Amino acid sequence: MNILLFLIFFVIILAGGIYAGFARDPYAKLIGIGLIGGGVMPLIIARGYVDVATALAVIIPLSTIFVLQLCRKGAV
Amino acid sequence: MITSFLQIAFAALCCWVLFITIDMIWALPREGGVVGAKAIASAVERAGGDIRGGTMMGNIVSSPDASAGTLLAACGVYCFGIPGGLIATVLVYIGNRICYDPGYAGTTGCFLATFMVYLGTLAGIPAEFFIVGMVCAILTIQGISHRHSSRLLGALWRLRR
Amino acid sequence: MEASQMIMEELGDIMNSISGPFSSPPINPPGESAELAAIICAIIALYAVIRVILEPDIMRKLPFLNVFSFGVAGIMALLIPHPLGIIAAAAYFIGSTFESNAIASTFAGGVEE
Repeated sequence: MNILLFLIFFVIILAGGIYAGFARDPYAKLIGIGLIGGGVMPLIIARGYVDVATALAVIIPLSTIFVLQLCRKGAV
Repeated sequence: MITSFLQIAFAALCCWVLFITIDMIWALPREGGVVGAKAIASAVERAGGDIRGGTMMGNIVSSPDASAGTLLAACGVYCFGIPGGLIATVLVYIGNRICYDPGYAGTTGCFLATFMVYLGTLAGIPAEFFIVGMVCAILTIQGISHRHSSRLLGALWRLRR
Repeated sequence: MEASQMIMEELGDIMNSISGPFSSPPINPPGESAELAAIICAIIALYAVIRVILEPDIMRKLPFLNVFSFGVAGIMALLIPHPLGIIAAAAYFIGSTFESNAIASTFAGGVEE
């Protein structure tokens, strides 16, 4: 595995995390969490944990959808 | 190195033509399939784009369509050959139903792309270049300028009419 | 008959190699052209992340997020030339599409009952 690939994913995760922290809009925060999740997945795959990555790929969007249900009820 | 980039460009062109053709055949720009696609289409139109192109971009985002099918078919052929592409077709079909999409654009796109990628591997272009080519193709449609690409898609849709 | 027997044998070998604890199966490192492909996909994903952050309108962030998901799914499939890679890449891509769909639907007012 190239060191360049690792660096790019670290930058993506940092950018997503900082953006999610400083955004005002709730939807922007959720998009930032999606960026963090997407940046972490190739790093898990690179270690060989394919099943953990598949489980995370199902869990992270599900938790985003539950948070969206909270957003809906909160707005109304 | 130069031949690699030429092969990637050729694979990107093949993927672009395939997924746009199949999406036009399945009439993705005609109407918003899901609510989310309509929201994205109106946002693209507010920014100066075409409503039909915006609807197609919204449909690409909201549900696995032929572009997603082509990408997963290329991944499948890379990992496992033609059976891998057929497994990817089944997974794209399940994904379509999960996203409340009653259409078959993704499934047909994945099925045809499996054979296209396999023919490409026979011609000497390895399957990973099709994966990169598909990512480059979707970058040109959705990642550079929404105004211009939605106008291009709208013009292609009017050709189809 | 012969071809189908060969296919069954091949499937049997694959099943033997991935049975038991799924983590750390014998994964071969990717080849030379796959490294180049992974780097190009990573650069495209990084560009898409920058466009997501710099875009002011929420609904117009979603196509850039879709480009990012394409890139990450491609990288996930490229890193492991193993049949389980398809399932991981497909699961990630469908999950990300479902999430974008949910964000767009909730922003637009929710699904009418």
